[in-house]
Amino acid sequence: MGSFTSSEQFETMLGGFFEHLTTVPSIAEKLLASKLIIRFKYTDPDVVLVVDCSGDALEIRRGDSETTATVEMFMTADVAHRFWFGKVNLMMALTRKQMVAKGPVPKILELLPAIKPAYQLYPTYLRENGYAQYVID
Amino acid sequence: MLPLFFEFHSPTKVVYGPGLVSDLHAELSQVGARRYLLVSDRGLEKLGLPARVAASLEDAGVQVVGSFLDVPENSELGAVRACADEAAAVGAEGLVALGGGSVIDTAKCANILLSEGGDLVDDYSGAGTLTRPLRPLVAIPTTAGTGSEVTQAAVILDEAGSVKLSFSDKFLLPTLAVLDPELTVSLPPRLTASTAMDALTHAVESYVSPQWSPMSEALAAGAVRLIFDHLEAAVADGSDLEARGALLTAAAMAGIAFSHAMVGCVHGMAHAVGGLCHVPHGEANAILLPHGLEYNRDVVEERLAGLAPFVNGLTSEEDRLDPADRVIAAIRNLAGRLNKAGVLATRLRDVGVPEERLEAVAAATVMDGTSFYNPREVVADEILRHLRNAY
Ligand SMILES: [Fe+2]
Repeated sequence: MGSFTSSEQFETMLGGFFEHLTTVPSIAEKLLASKLIIRFKYTDPDVVLVVDCSGDALEIRRGDSETTATVEMFMTADVAHRFWFGKVNLMMALTRKQMVAKGPVPKILELLPAIKPAYQLYPTYLRENGYAQYVID
Repeated sequence: MLPLFFEFHSPTKVVYGPGLVSDLHAELSQVGARRYLLVSDRGLEKLGLPARVAASLEDAGVQVVGSFLDVPENSELGAVRACADEAAAVGAEGLVALGGGSVIDTAKCANILLSEGGDLVDDYSGAGTLTRPLRPLVAIPTTAGTGSEVTQAAVILDEAGSVKLSFSDKFLLPTLAVLDPELTVSLPPRLTASTAMDALTHAVESYVSPQWSPMSEALAAGAVRLIFDHLEAAVADGSDLEARGALLTAAAMAGIAFSHAMVGCVHGMAHAVGGLCHVPHGEANAILLPHGLEYNRDVVEERLAGLAPFVNGLTSEEDRLDPADRVIAAIRNLAGRLNKAGVLATRLRDVGVPEERLEAVAAATVMDGTSFYNPREVVADEILRHLRNAY
């Protein structure tokens, strides 16, 4: 079993972080330029988050399984959590099938430099929003 | 220092031998499938290769129940679907791909549809989307370059949207790769040179990649040595089976190396001039390899130095350079000698790239997926400087 037991809690925690990222101009601008619609499908516990960069403003939609996404990423909640600390090498995770990517993988790779600053923001976000016990170092 | 993690997974059985394609009984009996669809292209058909291979497959005790010879120069979605339909219609249990990277990539993706059904793009494009082994795929390369016969990747052009779709999965690795140098003797000198330079680029870029491992680096270095020792002989005399065999082997070794360690900004620039100015992939890599290495030089100096024992063709003055610079000089010299022989361009201006497009090429290089694996950040301004040097 992973570190997270409640879908609702994980959705609020990670979805809240994604929403926080939309307010960081340096990250939001690059995501918007990509025009991608990315669906993250997490398991253990099950959560779906969509990051929609196709419009004028970034939109984070919780539980959206309907929109046609450009890319779908599949992983466990634990892998996702570690990813946002910068502790998961995407390439390695794909090789080991810790992550599965459906769609144009190169487009995802292009986004990595843009989201790099987020790795620093994640622990701060967790601490400031009552998730301090999940901070890993 | 060792990397903190590496994985090495290369289950494709590789067999090598001049004339081997006429004697595959031992290997095919272990593969299991009885009924094969032969996948190839019209150019090879003119040389009579598909017919020859079909006859030897039958001799080896398997049935060639049909053939699909309409693979275009760059593998396309329509051809993949048509190939899969043909395979299903004739009841093929496996595929034999005879050709270059495009033919093998087409067969890899047709095998997904044949084995799993569904929609190729929606269900399977991406990384790691397959969940179980596909039907047997026998890959018989007729060029020595892409290494697709031993890699887990395939690139297919969606001709409708003119986007390149990438597929990467361990289940795409061919079951068997047959390296028969006799099948490459008809490759003209220019193609021999550019495809081998593509293989050399796979070897060198994967060697200096941050994703390297001791296993990938051994294969990469071995490929570099084989190419330096044999490329010019194969260009001078296309029927030199020893030289042909060395290049074919090197391309497969480099293929396994970069399938694990990935490639960087040389391929990034080559993809960009390929997409924007239609420069063939091998020619672009041949021109850009020394320049991409200059771009990365300071960051990869130590890694690159490791290749110094595997290169040759230096002047006594160059022999006194730092090891990393010896490697770059040797690569530049090799390309220069092939250029003198009239079989390889060494400047972008000579392959139809307009100078005013270089800025767009630099911008596209930064956006290429390979940027992520490059040893240092890929910055447009600086790439542009090196593209101008290559112009
Ligand atoms: Fe290549």
